[in-house]
Amino acid sequence: MKNIIIGQFIPGTSFLYKMDPRSKIIALMLLMVSTFILSSVSHILIMLGVVLVILKIGGIPVTRIARGLKPIMILLLFTFTFQIIFIKTGNLVFDTDLTLTYITLPIILLIVIFWYFTKRYTRFKFLYLLITVFGILTLLSLYNPGSIISSSHLEIYQDGLEGAFFIMIRLIIIVTLSTILTLTTKPTDLNLGLEKILKPLGIIRINAEEIAMIISIALRYIPTLLDEANKIMLAQASRGVDFSEGKFKDKIMQIISLLVPMFIISFKRSDDLANAMEARSFVPGKRRTRLHTLSWHNIDTSVIVFCVLVLASVITVRIML
Amino acid sequence: MAIKFEQVNFSYPSFDGTNFSALKDINLEINEFGEFITLIGETGSGKSTLVQHMNALVRPTTGSVTIYGIKIENDTKKKGKVKLNPLRQRVGLVFQFPEYQLFEETVLKDIIFGPKNFGVSNEDAIKRAKEVIKHVGLDEEYLKRSPFNLSGGEKKRVSIAGILAMEPDILVLDEPTSGLDPKGRDDLLKLFTDIHRKLNKTVIIITHDMNTVYKYASRVLVMNDGSLVYDGKPTELFSTNNIENWNLDIPDIISITRQLEERLNIKFNSQPKTIEDLFILVKEVI
Repeated sequence: MKNIIIGQFIPGTSFLYKMDPRSKIIALMLLMVSTFILSSVSHILIMLGVVLVILKIGGIPVTRIARGLKPIMILLLFTFTFQIIFIKTGNLVFDTDLTLTYITLPIILLIVIFWYFTKRYTRFKFLYLLITVFGILTLLSLYNPGSIISSSHLEIYQDGLEGAFFIMIRLIIIVTLSTILTLTTKPTDLNLGLEKILKPLGIIRINAEEIAMIISIALRYIPTLLDEANKIMLAQASRGVDFSEGKFKDKIMQIISLLVPMFIISFKRSDDLANAMEARSFVPGKRRTRLHTLSWHNIDTSVIVFCVLVLASVITVRIML
Repeated sequence: MAIKFEQVNFSYPSFDGTNFSALKDINLEINEFGEFITLIGETGSGKSTLVQHMNALVRPTTGSVTIYGIKIENDTKKKGKVKLNPLRQRVGLVFQFPEYQLFEETVLKDIIFGPKNFGVSNEDAIKRAKEVIKHVGLDEEYLKRSPFNLSGGEKKRVSIAGILAMEPDILVLDEPTSGLDPKGRDDLLKLFTDIHRKLNKTVIIITHDMNTVYKYASRVLVMNDGSLVYDGKPTELFSTNNIENWNLDIPDIISITRQLEERLNIKFNSQPKTIEDLFILVKEVI
C-alpha cells in the first residue's frame, strides 16, 4: 500500500511544465472537444499524430502513457468487440464459420488451462491473453473434425471495423491528453488552476474556492488514510483476522472490522482539522491571499491560440465535408 | 526458545526508490517463560517494527525470525504453506492506539472477536471476556456498552482485554500506559506483573517511562536508530554512560539516590529499587 503515489506527477523541464495550470486545463478541454467533433478515421489519425507530437516535444515517455492506458484496456477491448460484432453495414470484409466440435472442445479447454498456469511467467499478460483468444478463434474457424456441438457465423463489415478503430483511437487520445495534464501538473497547481477557472461560477452562487479546498483536503488525506488502514489491518491481523484467506462470510466480517475503525478515524480527523482551521481563523468564503500565485506567460497564450486554431480547423472540416 | 531473531534487517520502501532501513542486523532470543522485558529507545528507533516481527505481522527483508519453531523469512508467505494465524494466538500483540482495532457494537463483542477468530466457542469466549474485563480494572457492566462511548483510557483497557482473552503465551504491549492517569498506569502494570508472576508468562512492554523499566523489568532491550544496542539487566544499563547517547533518561529513584549521596557525601552500599528501600538505607545511615 505504501507504493501508491497520488497524482502521477513526474518532474521535468519541458514547455508543458512551464505552462500555467489554467492554460493547460483550457487547452485540454479545447483539444478534447476537437477530438469529439471529428468524425472520420483519417482525420482522427491526424489528431493522434498531433497528440504524439505534443508528447515528443513535451518529453514525456510513451511507455508512461501506455501504462496510463492499462486500466482502460478492458473498456477498449469491449467497445472494439461490440463494434465489430454489431455493426453490419458497408462492405463485407471477412466471413467465416466458427464450429465447435467434440474434438475441438477439449483442445480449447487444454489451451485455456495452459494459458491460466503459464500467464504468470510472462511480462506481457494482456498480449498473451489476446494471442490465446485469437488462437482459439482460428482453431474454431479452420479445424472442425468430429460431430458438431454448435456452429455460428462470424462476419466483419468495413463500417464495423472502421467504427471500432475510430472509437478506440478517440478513447486513446482522450486518455492520453488527460494523462499529459496529470503527469506534468502538481495536484496543488491543478487544484489552484481549477479554482481560478471555476471562479466565474460564483455568479450562480457556486463557491469555487470551497470546492478547491475540498479537493485539496481530500488529496492531502489519501496517503494518511491509507497509512491508517494499514495500521488497522495489522491490528486486526494480530487478533486473528486473515485478510487473504477465509470463507466469504468471514470475509465480510473482516471488512467490517476494517471499515468501522476507518470511519471513526476519518470523522475524528475531520473534526480535528476543522478545529485547527478555525483556530487559525479560517472562514469559508472569505477572500484569502495565497502563498503561490499563478502567472500567465507568452507560452500559455501561444498554446491556447494553437488549440483554438485546431478547434477552428476541426469545425471547418466538419462543416465543409 | 520461543522467539529467535537471526540477522534480521527490515526496510520500508519509499517513493524515490531509496529504502528506509527500520531494523539493522537484529539478533535476539526471547524465552517462552518467566521474562519481563521492557523495550526502550527514542521515537522512530524501530521498537514498533521489532514487535510486529514477533507475531509475523511483517516479514524481515533479510534474515529470519523463528517463532515457536516456525521460520519466517522474506518469501515465507509466497510459498503459502506456512499458517501464520496460530502464531498470532500464541504471541498476543496489543497495538499502541486502541481506536485502530475497536469496531463492534458492544465491548463484549469486541473482546470475544479475537478468541472466536482462533476457534474458541461462543460460550467460552464470553466466559473469558467476563474474566478479563475485571483483570483490566473495569466492571462487568462495561461489556454492554459501546466501545466508542468510552474514554481513551477505557478504550485502551478494552483493547488489552481483547488480546488477553486470546490467552496468548507471550504478551507484547506497544506503549500500553501512554495516555493513562498515574493510577490507571500503576493498575495496568500491576496486572502485567501478575500475569508474569502467576502464570509465568513472558511479557514484553514498549515504554518511555524509565521508572517502569527499573521497577519491573527483568531484562531490558534498547533500540537506537534501528539497531539493538543493549540487551541485559536494567541495573547495569543505568550504570553505563551510554544513556544520554541513546536519548534515554535515568529513573527518578536513581537520581534521588545519587543526589543524596552527593549532598550527604556518603556512599550507600546498595542501589535501592523502590522508595521504601531508599528509606531503609537512609535510616541506616542516620
